[in-house]
Amino acid sequence: MNEIIGIIIAIIICWFNFVIIDTYFGLPEQPGVEGARNVGESISQRDGDISGGFFQGNILCSPDASAGTLLASIGYMIMGIPGGLLAGFFVFIGNRLCADPGYAGSLGSFTITFIIYLTGFIGFRPEMFVCGMVIAILTIQGISQPKASRLLGGIARKFNRQSKE
Amino acid sequence: MFNLIFSDLYSFIYAGFYNGIYLNLGSNNMVIDYLIVIFSSIIMALILKIPLLPPNRYSFVNSALFPTPIIAVGLLSIFFILGYYFAYNGMLLSLIIGISSALFVKYLFYYVFPSPNNGDDVI
Repeated sequence: MNEIIGIIIAIIICWFNFVIIDTYFGLPEQPGVEGARNVGESISQRDGDISGGFFQGNILCSPDASAGTLLASIGYMIMGIPGGLLAGFFVFIGNRLCADPGYAGSLGSFTITFIIYLTGFIGFRPEMFVCGMVIAILTIQGISQPKASRLLGGIARKFNRQSKE
Repeated sequence: MFNLIFSDLYSFIYAGFYNGIYLNLGSNNMVIDYLIVIFSSIIMALILKIPLLPPNRYSFVNSALFPTPIIAVGLLSIFFILGYYFAYNGMLLSLIIGISSALFVKYLFYYVFPSPNNGDDVI
């Protein structure tokens, strides 16, 4: 498969993988630690959405499905399927060190390992997912935080996981 | 020892590019091993009276479905990456790791990973 097309499709797959899993496990609902609350309120003051702000603060402060997706892609790239599953285990340890129960991170690692295995049959390579996940994180955290937080807040309202504050 | 690890690592890198070839599932029974480790850990956790599901999405309480299979699969993956299969194509190793990870979650988990604020959620 052409690398550019593969990377573009991998961006979309990775974006939906981590946004859906993180939203389902309630990252926009409440900040896990004080730092996430500070990030969310800062984004909210800059004309952003508080639910999306908590989402961004939470994925900044502990390894959730975003970090799980990235690390599992790297693990799959260098060590095959056991590497992806091992990345899920390490993400779980990192979650517990960051005062986070760790449901989203481990599940995101396992789902992306399964997705890379399935898409490997039609020509996708794990490097495309590593590159795609870096760009997907860039669209959330890097370009415009208030606009990204409004989008994430809208998705959170669709899932009924918006912040109660 | 380092030669062994690096040669294995390079072969895995090569195999990672062609993951369909690396996943020679019929020869080393990797799927069966992972299924054994998942189910043995869950069943052993239920025998040890760990609850099946956590009470809510934010709880730090251990359950048979959440941290037990994750730990078991991760430990088994370490052995597979290092190329150590033990007897019966790794099936015996899977059973031992599944049972021991359930014992770890029951008796040692909170000693290694203490939950914040004595089990209450943060904030």
